[in-house]
Amino acid sequence: MKFLSALFSMSLLATLNSGCTTVVIDEYRRSAGELAVGDSVVILGRRHSSEYETEPDLIDCVGQTLHNPKSGVNVIPEQQFVDALYPWFEPRTAPMHIKSLSKLMDIPDVRDRMERYGIKYIVWIDGNTETTSSAGSIGCSIGTAGAGCFGFGTWDKESDYEASVWDFRDQELSGKISADAQGTSYMPAIVVPIPLIARVQNNACKGMAAQLQEFLLPPQSASR
Amino acid sequence: MIRLLKGLFSIKQGAIRAAALVVLACLLTACAHTVSVDGRFPAPVGNQHPLTVGIFLSEDFRQFTYSENRDDRDEWNINTGRAQKNLFETVLGSMFKETVNLSQYPSNLPQGVDLVIVPEVRELQFTMPRETRVNIFEVWIKYDMRAYNQQGDAVAEWVITAYGKTPTAFLKSQEAALAQAINVALRDAGATLYTGFERVPELQAFLASKQRALSMKQTEADNN
Repeated sequence: MKFLSALFSMSLLATLNSGCTTVVIDEYRRSAGELAVGDSVVILGRRHSSEYETEPDLIDCVGQTLHNPKSGVNVIPEQQFVDALYPWFEPRTAPMHIKSLSKLMDIPDVRDRMERYGIKYIVWIDGNTETTSSAGSIGCSIGTAGAGCFGFGTWDKESDYEASVWDFRDQELSGKISADAQGTSYMPAIVVPIPLIARVQNNACKGMAAQLQEFLLPPQSASR
Repeated sequence: MIRLLKGLFSIKQGAIRAAALVVLACLLTACAHTVSVDGRFPAPVGNQHPLTVGIFLSEDFRQFTYSENRDDRDEWNINTGRAQKNLFETVLGSMFKETVNLSQYPSNLPQGVDLVIVPEVRELQFTMPRETRVNIFEVWIKYDMRAYNQQGDAVAEWVITAYGKTPTAFLKSQEAALAQAINVALRDAGATLYTGFERVPELQAFLASKQRALSMKQTEADNN
């Protein structure tokens, strides 16, 4: 029993541990952040590519990390915004360039809704996280004496995201932020598999959200 | 004694037969997948066309089930009837000044209806991640659209193609992932229906003549 509880604690500890991840954030800025009280930001995923899809959970993660009304950042959830402006922000109809946005504003109902939301910035995130390589093997067996797994597995994940920040009121591109993250996860198995997971997508999300906060807020309030 | 043994033997045989049937049924149903899509869709935002439109969704359309049983695939039964009924009623209901849901067509057409729209499913296709080696579920739906005037003459025929994909079914059943992809495809169909209506040349001409008639009526009313 003691052996089992020790094994359980070991695996729990290992789960809490995580593999190493490196995140590189780049920024290209054309204008200073101008987010004021009452302004809102919407973060949307690009979904027009047939080969990959910007993950909705990454968009949720960036939105939730960035949302902080106390520091002046109010983020509108993606699904709520896309539903409220259906069908103008669907993969097929979403504006690909800032110039197309001005055409969309010719529709009075669309303009009214955008203004009601108090949209100042639209942030488009494009990219995905994928497993680039994997190696090793783990075998599990069950017998009269008990069950267990033995082996070793490892896999690499890579995230590549780019966020384009559109200033909705000034109808211009404010800048771009890119987040590249890489990490290797390990899973040694000695009776019990012990996952050492590199949280690549999550770290890319946190890095991007922190950079976006600095980007969107005016210089004096960004340091708060 | 012999009778008793015979009785026992026949009971045993019956039980074996029943068990074999149950196993066979389980094996058969293990390969059959049933998906029932029940989507709710937001009402489109934008300008309404100045028309009174009758919407006729046939019984086949409202209960549409796509069935596939090929040698190289499991058996699939995909019911999209309810979801596409919701979609067409919501989108068409917001596109025009007034809409009437018709329970039958062409008989008993109410007075004052400018146009009757009749959609039909032409095709539904889907692919699974293991078939394409892309880690997403994909769905294509093609609709045949027909519009008739008050006299029952065909005004326009056009085709709507819709595409939907969803990321890998990680921690999800195949059925749930496919249902999600179908809902995305239906949203896409709604977006194409809404934004593409005016681009159909015959409908463009029909709308222009209706608008001309309305403006003439307005001028006459102003003169009187």
